[in-house]
Amino acid sequence: MMRRSTGFIALAAALVLAGCNAADTATNAPADGASGGPPPLPPHQMRAQMADGDRLHTTMSGEDLFSNRCGTCHLDGGMGTNLIIGQQVALGQPPSMGLLANRDDLTADYVTSVARMGKGAMPRQTRVDVTDAELEKIAAYLGKGK
Amino acid sequence: MRGVGQTSGPMNMGEKAEMKLTLPPRMSPQGFDAAVKALQGAVGTGWVMTTDEDRDAYADIYAPGPETLWSASGAVAPASVEEIQAVVRIANEHKLPLWTVARGKNLGYGTAAPRMPGSMVLDLGRMDKILELDPELGYCVIEPGVGFLDLYERIQREKLPLMMSVPGNGWGSVLGNALDHGIGYTPYGVHASNLCGMEVVLGTGDLVRTGLGAMGNNQASHLFPFNYGPTWDQMFTQSNLGIVTKAGMWLMPEPESSLELNLDIPEAEDIGWVIDTLTPLKLAGIINQSIFIPSWLGKMVILGQRKDFWDKPGAIPDWRVAELLKEHKLGYWKVQIRVYGDETVNRAKAEVIKAAFKKHIATPMEEVWWRKGDPTNVMDTTLGVPSAVPLQMGDWVGGKSAHMGFSPVVPATSKHVLDQMNRSRKIIADHDVDFYASFTIGGRFCNNVNMLMYDRDKPEEVETIKKLFDALIADAAAHGMAEYRTHLGWMDAIADTFDFNNHAMRRMTETVKDALDPNGILSPGKQGIWPKAYADQRGKALA
Repeated sequence: MMRRSTGFIALAAALVLAGCNAADTATNAPADGASGGPPPLPPHQMRAQMADGDRLHTTMSGEDLFSNRCGTCHLDGGMGTNLIIGQQVALGQPPSMGLLANRDDLTADYVTSVARMGKGAMPRQTRVDVTDAELEKIAAYLGKGK
Repeated sequence: MRGVGQTSGPMNMGEKAEMKLTLPPRMSPQGFDAAVKALQGAVGTGWVMTTDEDRDAYADIYAPGPETLWSASGAVAPASVEEIQAVVRIANEHKLPLWTVARGKNLGYGTAAPRMPGSMVLDLGRMDKILELDPELGYCVIEPGVGFLDLYERIQREKLPLMMSVPGNGWGSVLGNALDHGIGYTPYGVHASNLCGMEVVLGTGDLVRTGLGAMGNNQASHLFPFNYGPTWDQMFTQSNLGIVTKAGMWLMPEPESSLELNLDIPEAEDIGWVIDTLTPLKLAGIINQSIFIPSWLGKMVILGQRKDFWDKPGAIPDWRVAELLKEHKLGYWKVQIRVYGDETVNRAKAEVIKAAFKKHIATPMEEVWWRKGDPTNVMDTTLGVPSAVPLQMGDWVGGKSAHMGFSPVVPATSKHVLDQMNRSRKIIADHDVDFYASFTIGGRFCNNVNMLMYDRDKPEEVETIKKLFDALIADAAAHGMAEYRTHLGWMDAIADTFDFNNHAMRRMTETVKDALDPNGILSPGKQGIWPKAYADQRGKALA
């Protein structure tokens, strides 16, 4: 069982209060019963691997592409997830809406636009970060709000 | 059901694509089109990116001022050494200046944007192969496009007993960060020191290997840190003397255990005795890591936005800082020491460290053990877990928030650290800006990073930050301190501070530059090094 420092717990608590544990992975994570503190942060997320091949004509799924190209920030515990949780909770939504894959109000056009034009702390993504073909699949995967 | 309007409104959206084409000096539109066409032939049409939207994407999103000050004409993304050589040939032929980035995530220092407007970004993000990964001798050989997360995930997937050293921004490139003298927080935290054996394309298109790799098929290319004869590896760091296409990086064997010792240090001035306590332990090898000591604001930026704690413009007053520290149970500084290795040795080291601190503070240090196989999470930077979460501080000021670091290198003694802190703290306060400092003891020196956060939507705030930055540079230089790294807009200014014998070092480097890259096509102006071909651009496009 991992012991956690109080400094860490304070930070973890703040992040959890901010709804950081977006994917409800607490059941998979080691419980922090010893200290009676808040649940620990989610474990580090492994992204889907990139397939070999021409990224300009990708054969990967939107889900895997989202995981690999956007996952640094948009999986559980990621920076983008943390910030969006704050925004969603302020709108009265549950913390799980911090994960883009859980959202049902995003449109493909909106996803494309934010990826290319940026939004708040989100930087504009170059066509090396994510190609047009990859973004099209990612946008279709996330864009459930049509 | 949420309305789409709640998430897709215009508020906080990025700017519309508006980065019009800026041509490199003395290049005609027709000449540019010809160069682009040639590049398309070399790397494929899809990997030459020259729309307004592309130029926007390669701009500095944290630019202190208009992004157009450092606008790229476009970007080209080769996938192999041969393609890089072809790009360099074309650039020479057409006199097209290139600006090389690994993954282009140098946030706070210019992101992917070029020093000289009109340069074409040479984006090596597609060169993302991990060529070797050796757990026995603890090293890897990687291409510039390999991100911290890519390498981390590969190590985890193969369950290799290796631990990385990662910086605050885990989104970036392992090599790019090391080549730009980035820092991490493990015993391998001085990243440029881990580089060993590089492959480099020169401005002429020639391909060289440094170190023992200069012998074809040498077996120790990435193990022995010197050449036979003069050693060139570091010449290609913070440099425009070549394009690093792959390099060896040493990796730390995963320790059996690690012990974290935590302590809140109450007062700003306490940093003096903290440094005098830690430096001897670092030099004696009791502590091996690069020791990161952030001030309270480093913890606070993760907890919310500035307006949640202080909703008025100007610096947070000292009385409110005192209140906040009390409310959030924070010291002015957070000391988080980590020892790595055998458990018995770690316990013994901990006793030495605790005894040293006990002389100054009664509060016991909190001990947190990690043992091989224990889970880690995204906040475990000192256990080599890459994350972009520290970038969340970008949200602190709100609006179009950005940051820059003023980062002088300071001798690791209380005298120098207190002098530097008191001077920069006063200058920062005089500009009515929040003081957010950290000291990282990397050896006999500290990297003193002062984060300056600003909202790019507020021109007056940007102006203040620029004036503040100028004042900090001038003051540090007057006291014999230099920045270890800086933003595009100050590269010339910092280079000017290295003034021994009327800038002899710049004369030497520019002589080498002109010899290796006669047309000056590789990253003109990087770190204040200007080739003859673009010497007239020195001092232009400053922040």
